[in-house]
Amino acid sequence: MDRMVVIPGDLLSKEAKRSGEGTFVKDGMVYSLLYGLANFKDKINVIPLAGKYVPSSGDSIIGVVKDVTFSNWIIDINSPYDGLLHVSEYPKRIESDEMSKVLRIGTSIMTRVKDVDSTMKVELTLNDRKLGVLKTGRVIEISHTRVPRLIGKGGSMISMLKRELNCNIFVGQNGRIWINGSAEDMDLALKIILLIEKEAHTSGLTDRVIDYLKQEKRARS
Amino acid sequence: MSSVLSEIRKDYLYNMILKGTRADGRYFDQYREISIERGVIAKAEGSARVKLGSSQVLVGIKMQPGEPFPDSPNRGVIITNAELVPLASPTFEPGPPNETGIELARVVDRGVRESKAVDLEALCITPGKQVWIIFIDVHILDDCGNLIDASSLGAIAALLSTKVPASKFGLGEDHPLPIRDLPIATTAIEFGDVVMFDPDSDEESIANSRLTVITTADGSICGLQKSGTGVLNLEKVHHIVDIAGEKAKEIREKFLEV
Amino acid sequence: MGENDANITFFKDGLRLDGRRADELRPLKIEVGILARADGSCYIEMGGNKVIAAVYGPREVHPRHLQEVTRAIVRYRYNMASFSVEERKRPGPDRRSYELSKVSREALEPVILTSYFPRSVIDVFVEVLQADAGTRTAGINAASVALADAGIPMKSMISSCAAGKVGGQLVLDPMKEEDNYGEADMPIAMTPDGRITLLQMDGHMTREELKTALDMAMGGCRQVYEVQRKALIDKYNQMEAEIIPDQEQPQEAEVL
Repeated sequence: MDRMVVIPGDLLSKEAKRSGEGTFVKDGMVYSLLYGLANFKDKINVIPLAGKYVPSSGDSIIGVVKDVTFSNWIIDINSPYDGLLHVSEYPKRIESDEMSKVLRIGTSIMTRVKDVDSTMKVELTLNDRKLGVLKTGRVIEISHTRVPRLIGKGGSMISMLKRELNCNIFVGQNGRIWINGSAEDMDLALKIILLIEKEAHTSGLTDRVIDYLKQEKRARS
Repeated sequence: MSSVLSEIRKDYLYNMILKGTRADGRYFDQYREISIERGVIAKAEGSARVKLGSSQVLVGIKMQPGEPFPDSPNRGVIITNAELVPLASPTFEPGPPNETGIELARVVDRGVRESKAVDLEALCITPGKQVWIIFIDVHILDDCGNLIDASSLGAIAALLSTKVPASKFGLGEDHPLPIRDLPIATTAIEFGDVVMFDPDSDEESIANSRLTVITTADGSICGLQKSGTGVLNLEKVHHIVDIAGEKAKEIREKFLEV
Repeated sequence: MGENDANITFFKDGLRLDGRRADELRPLKIEVGILARADGSCYIEMGGNKVIAAVYGPREVHPRHLQEVTRAIVRYRYNMASFSVEERKRPGPDRRSYELSKVSREALEPVILTSYFPRSVIDVFVEVLQADAGTRTAGINAASVALADAGIPMKSMISSCAAGKVGGQLVLDPMKEEDNYGEADMPIAMTPDGRITLLQMDGHMTREELKTALDMAMGGCRQVYEVQRKALIDKYNQMEAEIIPDQEQPQEAEVL
């Protein structure tokens, strides 16, 4: 048995060195910190079934402008912490009084976490060609705990989806996903992504996704 | 704790509406699934838990003898209160009811009062001295939109299950609360020239205005409440009132009549 | 505690008025994840108590001056619905609910890893829909499950239960009549390995009785823990079963 459901405080191993994510060590033994699925490899990791996104440096995420101050845009990043996008992190030079026109409240952006300090001050950047404002397409929200499953091992799931679905897809580490394509393709992409979210914790997921895709495509043609 | 609805989400909802449908696939006049469980709180004289889609409300009825109002010495008294407890939504805060909570309680109260659903004369114990006081307490558990309809339905369902606790106060035998009408509140929002009934939270947040129509069993109107800063033309008002009457009839027949 | 009324007998043929043995819990039912808006939620029935707990967070702290730079703050709000008791309760907090909120928060906080979420708040809201003695213990039990459901990191669950004294005898998990007319009531909360995080008592007990009552209450907490655990594991298996009806379910952790 390499997978099982655990709750906080469950004893997972008597070998402290096997303590992985979502676990803690007390008196040389490993316990679960979370309600979730424990994966027993060399290390034991517990993947929670729920939880809030906590930003860390380098994460690519999708945010929504919620306020504008003198030199920062305040960005909702689907987290207990707001992101700060300094005016100097915008790819073009703009004046402070233009800020609320350049990125209006409600605008969605693809952004990257530049830095997080110990007090959880989160600095964001748009200074990269891959980043920018989302004007078309759709954004959906799933639990950030499901993101690794949507991406798949070495990006296998997401590349398959992009290929099969004919859509541009950007997966934010914070659980927000941008899809762009024809209305019909986006509808199917949305269904598939919600399916992955719902079934993320189960085995045999990739096969079920492929079956589902085939079915839907057959129904269409 | 306001959360912003992104422009991209608004555009999406708007595009769906242009295509004649809603984000969850409903028709414009279609209600979410409704379920009602009566008598869930044994400590209350009457109670009902209503689920409207994912919205959940619990209404409890308590009764006790008390003094009548001086201008209606031989009529019972109804007091309606709504608690928007912070358990029910990330946007609700602890503290005394705010204007949303008070509006909700007053609209629920209006339906019960103006339809004369409760026979208040029958609740007189000693004219001018002692009458029954009915407390309708609306407890919101999960706010996924359209609390007015869910709460109003909960109130009348709870009243239907209410037993007057006469024996507890030495006033004879317990008996069912006399109910004479079944008011149903139906709420629509207006957005981008279309009208949608039973709005969910997202739809509420993009609505320009909202209209609640309370209909009695004979199909007449016993209460209206428009809210929001948008405007409604006459044609829309008539449209909403017409559909409200049909929807109310369906709900009344399906959930309240034996 | 109410006056001991000599006319009331609490036992008949060695059993309590509701047919329980002295060391028996009332029927206990726990459901996980019953609210859509909350981050985690739980509904509990413990005898005649009906209680809902919801967890929101970690989330931004308002007002900001309450923020702590190195840890999340935990807030706990115990509230009774007006119709939850025999005589209608006026809505809103009173001195009793402030006290219960405080001790309940302190019962849970020791196991929550607040240092993971600096400058945020974890809000726990408990609504008593029907009260029947022991609402604070039911609230803590539900809150602990709701915290786990919300994905909050915790060193363990917290389980809670009361022991009382009626007609000179110690009883587990007193019901309303025993609570009203009994001589003592002692709610506790603890971790599964027996570290006590809540302890209150009012009434009168000898030292010897206190010792026995503590053992009894701790035994009750262990039983509550098993039901909490089962509710969480069952919820997972149920989700899994809806997706893959015939597959073998992952087993639950053996308690080593």
